[in-house]
Amino acid sequence: MTLRPLYAPMDRVTVEQIPFHASDGTELGLSRLIANTPTDQNGTDRPAVLLLHGLTASADMFVLPETRNLVDVLLSAGYEPWLLDWRGSCRLPHNEGRVRYTFDDVALYDIPEAVSYIRDRIGRRQLFVVAHCLGALSLSLSMTGGLVPGLAGVVAQGVFMTPKYSARSRLLGHLGGEWGRSRWTHLPVDFTKVGFRSRYTPMFALASLSAGDCDDPTCHILHNSAWGTGASLYVHENLHERTHNRLAELFGSAPTWIGPHLRRMELAHTAMPWNTAGQGYDQLPENALDSADRIDCPVLLLAGSDNKTFHDSNELCYDILSSRHPDLDVRYVEIPGYGHVDPFIGRGAALDVFGHIVDFLDERSAAST
Amino acid sequence: MNPSPETGGDVPARHHEVDRQHEGELIESGPRGSAAIAGLLARFQPPPSPRQSVDSTNAPQGPVSGTPAWGLEQLAKAIVSKAAALLDIKEIDTETDLFDAGATSVDAVRLVAVLDRELNVRLSLDDVFADARPRRLAQRWLGSPTKRPLPEAPAATGAPVAPAATGAPELPVASAPSATTTASQGTDIMPTETVTPDETLPVLDDHAEDLALIMADLARADQLPWCGDPEPVPPRRVLLTGVTGFLGGHMLLDLLRHSDAHVVCLVRGDTVQDAERRLAEGLAGFSLPWSAEIRRRVTVLPGDLRRPRLGLTDEQWELLANELDSVVSVAAAVDFLRGYPSLRRTNVLGVLTLAELAMTGRPKPLHHISSIAVFNEIGIASMGEDDPVAHVDRLTAGYDKSKWAAEAALRRARDRGLKATFLRPGGIVGHTRTGAYNPHDINTGLFSAISRYRVAPKINYSNSAPVDWVSRVATAVICEPSGWGQNYHLTGRPDTLTEMVRDQELGGLNVRVMAWDVWLKDFLARCESDPVPELEFMARVLRNPAGQKIVEASVTAPMATGERTEAFVARHKLPPPTRYDAQARLKSYERMARDGLVILPHRDDPPHLWFRETMRGKVGPADGKPDTHCSFALTLSIASMYQLVQHRTIDVRGTVSCSLLHPDPLTVDDGEIWVRPHEGVPHRHGLDHPLLRYRLALRDSDGNGWWLEGWKTARARFDYMKQARTLTIRAGREGEPASLAGTMRVPKKSYKREQIDGIRVNPNLSMREQRIAKLAWLTWFSAQLGQGLLEPTLRAGAELLDLRPDAIDLDKDRYQAKLKQWEKDRKHLR
Repeated sequence: MTLRPLYAPMDRVTVEQIPFHASDGTELGLSRLIANTPTDQNGTDRPAVLLLHGLTASADMFVLPETRNLVDVLLSAGYEPWLLDWRGSCRLPHNEGRVRYTFDDVALYDIPEAVSYIRDRIGRRQLFVVAHCLGALSLSLSMTGGLVPGLAGVVAQGVFMTPKYSARSRLLGHLGGEWGRSRWTHLPVDFTKVGFRSRYTPMFALASLSAGDCDDPTCHILHNSAWGTGASLYVHENLHERTHNRLAELFGSAPTWIGPHLRRMELAHTAMPWNTAGQGYDQLPENALDSADRIDCPVLLLAGSDNKTFHDSNELCYDILSSRHPDLDVRYVEIPGYGHVDPFIGRGAALDVFGHIVDFLDERSAAST
Repeated sequence: MNPSPETGGDVPARHHEVDRQHEGELIESGPRGSAAIAGLLARFQPPPSPRQSVDSTNAPQGPVSGTPAWGLEQLAKAIVSKAAALLDIKEIDTETDLFDAGATSVDAVRLVAVLDRELNVRLSLDDVFADARPRRLAQRWLGSPTKRPLPEAPAATGAPVAPAATGAPELPVASAPSATTTASQGTDIMPTETVTPDETLPVLDDHAEDLALIMADLARADQLPWCGDPEPVPPRRVLLTGVTGFLGGHMLLDLLRHSDAHVVCLVRGDTVQDAERRLAEGLAGFSLPWSAEIRRRVTVLPGDLRRPRLGLTDEQWELLANELDSVVSVAAAVDFLRGYPSLRRTNVLGVLTLAELAMTGRPKPLHHISSIAVFNEIGIASMGEDDPVAHVDRLTAGYDKSKWAAEAALRRARDRGLKATFLRPGGIVGHTRTGAYNPHDINTGLFSAISRYRVAPKINYSNSAPVDWVSRVATAVICEPSGWGQNYHLTGRPDTLTEMVRDQELGGLNVRVMAWDVWLKDFLARCESDPVPELEFMARVLRNPAGQKIVEASVTAPMATGERTEAFVARHKLPPPTRYDAQARLKSYERMARDGLVILPHRDDPPHLWFRETMRGKVGPADGKPDTHCSFALTLSIASMYQLVQHRTIDVRGTVSCSLLHPDPLTVDDGEIWVRPHEGVPHRHGLDHPLLRYRLALRDSDGNGWWLEGWKTARARFDYMKQARTLTIRAGREGEPASLAGTMRVPKKSYKREQIDGIRVNPNLSMREQRIAKLAWLTWFSAQLGQGLLEPTLRAGAELLDLRPDAIDLDKDRYQAKLKQWEKDRKHLR
């Protein structure tokens, strides 16, 4: 087993780590969290919430011990959180491996199979999904492919079906990324592992050019460059100091070979599979937006007002879905002053963000009863 | 109880010009609350002052038959009675400030109407705002040299005339004797015996009284306890006042976000639930969250800053004194019309109570949100953090005096050991992300007036900063012990008139600049001739002499400087002060437009920029071959660059000629072009990206309606010019599906002539402004068009790049090459 242990506040929660492999043989991580209080230990009627991280992050982003994290808030609000480390997790070795994957695999294997497993465990209880970034984008492919029917509700943060970069990120990410992917299999973020003399040094040096007062190269590569794409993952000021100091644990290497799939979707501003018909992925839709009428549950789209990675992608998604598919229950909430990933890992996320998520889940839970 | 002959008074005769029955009914039927203030004020002309009343009737009114004569105390008690009934409050007396008792501006309007209607006492709103103590109101009415001729005493009483009240009015210090009558609602007090009018009452000298009152208030600081230094650690339990207000609400959230402190919020309310409801409503009004997660870290404490010991029990007071480790004073009565006596209980005495709390028990720092209003002396040379503040005798507005007095009192408290921090914002403008703004901020009012009338006063500097920055820096100071006890200017990066005018120009919202006094006259004249309810707040401020001085001082003020603040911001890696430019104010601007405070240019306004577009082509039945000639003669226009950049739309007018639709040309009733709708996301899977969408509502000469929809589409081909000129259309009768379809094209020759050389700009703008407008349009539209046209080609090109091998493939190739080389070398060695 190669899965790195979950870094959770063990004084507050108990982690049930479940050995989990996708049907294509890829090792994944699945865990159920229970609060360390007698009432919570015995609670069996809680709606379940599956949390999906973004590419190169991991389930750790939902259980930061240094802040009031999403798992804490969900447990307090009466939900049962489940964390899936899909194959893009930095707790797993796949991003630095030689076996390539695409978001098709995540949409076809990881998410539906995790959902299926959880459903077997929770019986008739409701199941929600809260997903971030490319976890949410993969989820949109699963949903529009009809692979995860019957969810009680979905929260998609950062991006969902309409990825959109800035002009700068297009240039650096799509064009520069093309240059990079023939040289590197992955781009690391942990400068302490990379060292001063490595083939990645020029990339760290470039990222540090507009670093301001921060002197952490790992922060530079994430905040000023986002693995060379010219994006920015978070509003620096929103991070807790301890979170800032452990960024290298929270984010891992980005595989360069996944760039073309992302580029294809971004240039079209539409989630779509990499593999075309006849390659074993026929269950996935040709184009997620065209198949959006297969979404069968309410969707809450969240985005930070200062998202410098996928910008106003979710607002665009909301506009498109509400005009082309007016029957869908889609809402959009913008979080003032937040960036791309800090709506989950920011020190004030419990105050500014999680209330929207819990309100949505509560509303859907109440509606079903 | 209404006055009646039995109680010694007849029903006062109605004076038609000041009859407020209708107003009263309007008010009583209208909504209550601050949101309704502007509307209510706008419905009523300012009530005539006694002088105006006499002047306007152009003749002495003469005794009003049967109207009772008032003595000072008697009238004051009558006003107490009316006010108590109006405000539904029992505990007021003749020295109670009605605003302190909970009256709002709406209540002030109602009181003026009630006093006029029921007591025949005609006060202006300014009188009530200046000093809202019933005794002072009575004194102001009776002591005015221009008060109306006194009415006859009721003949029925026949009692002897009482001696005239003499002597100067009592100083309204706290120790001054007051009428101790506690009002009981519904009990009208009317003169039951003949009283002699107080003809000898002198004219009130408000300013001298204010100064005396300020000195008396400052002396209270000498009664504060002595205290030592607070422990220099970040606070864990903070008392915060003013959380239902604009800045206080934002500071509450910032304190929670950027510290681990638990915050005790002092909120007015009878119960915890009531106070919590007020807090939740206050936060929601400024787009701030209120959730279970926030409630976990907040204790809502019902209390009242204006009352001794904050209206808390002794146990609560002791508990706070011993448990708190920081006190933050944000609450203030921010009202530019009210006088010092009306504001002092909140703005001065309340702050002194907080100082007492900070100095009792465990020593605590007191962080006081002051204001650069303490410099509001016209002609002051500099406004640095440690510069001397204004001379109080040169301050005119009650608000300025109250902020000055609070600081002066706290300076005395500093001498007794209090660690008092002065945080002085200037104008606090809207949130850069949510757009939440304070409608009663002078800067909001000024901006609203400028945007609506497109005329600006000559401003030296706008010493204002967005609320998010002010709140963030203020909370950082509160949480940083090394920053306590100093003065900070939270004025951000002052804006200049040139920069403001340039922003307006780029947005296509050009403004003219006038000297202050010319602008003032112009603004008031516009408010008279064309009153706008949303601007009534600003109009009232500028009609009031003290209000005028506040605004004049703010537009003529020098640049506020804040070296200490800047150093603090840099040291603690806080967001640096940046200019509140067009981008930063965009959200507030949109929110103000929704609230009616500013008006966004509309398609019915004279256009900012326009040009012609001619199209020719063929249409036919929807399922047939297009064979009928058709032509468009359109005029494309924008009302402002804001419309273009934010909504990406262009307005369309003109005619459509097509014999299949009608023999005569059809007129465009309503038309719009959407540039790169939905960022050009294809409608169906493929490489066809929408470029422009035309939607026209047409009307033929017989009055029948038609709809027409057209798309310009970008494709992965190199005929970009053709794609940019070709429009695929569908049309049909109103409410029916498409019956016609076809393709239209902009003739190549007319493209440059009409759409580049033929661009026309609002002729009222200068030539330079016209050039800027034209270039701004061309730059924006070309960029959009270029991006839209290139996207399909980029996607097709990327599909080629996808075929390239990546590092894993190349590594494999390299490995294979190495193997081959190794084999070759081995063979060679053999």
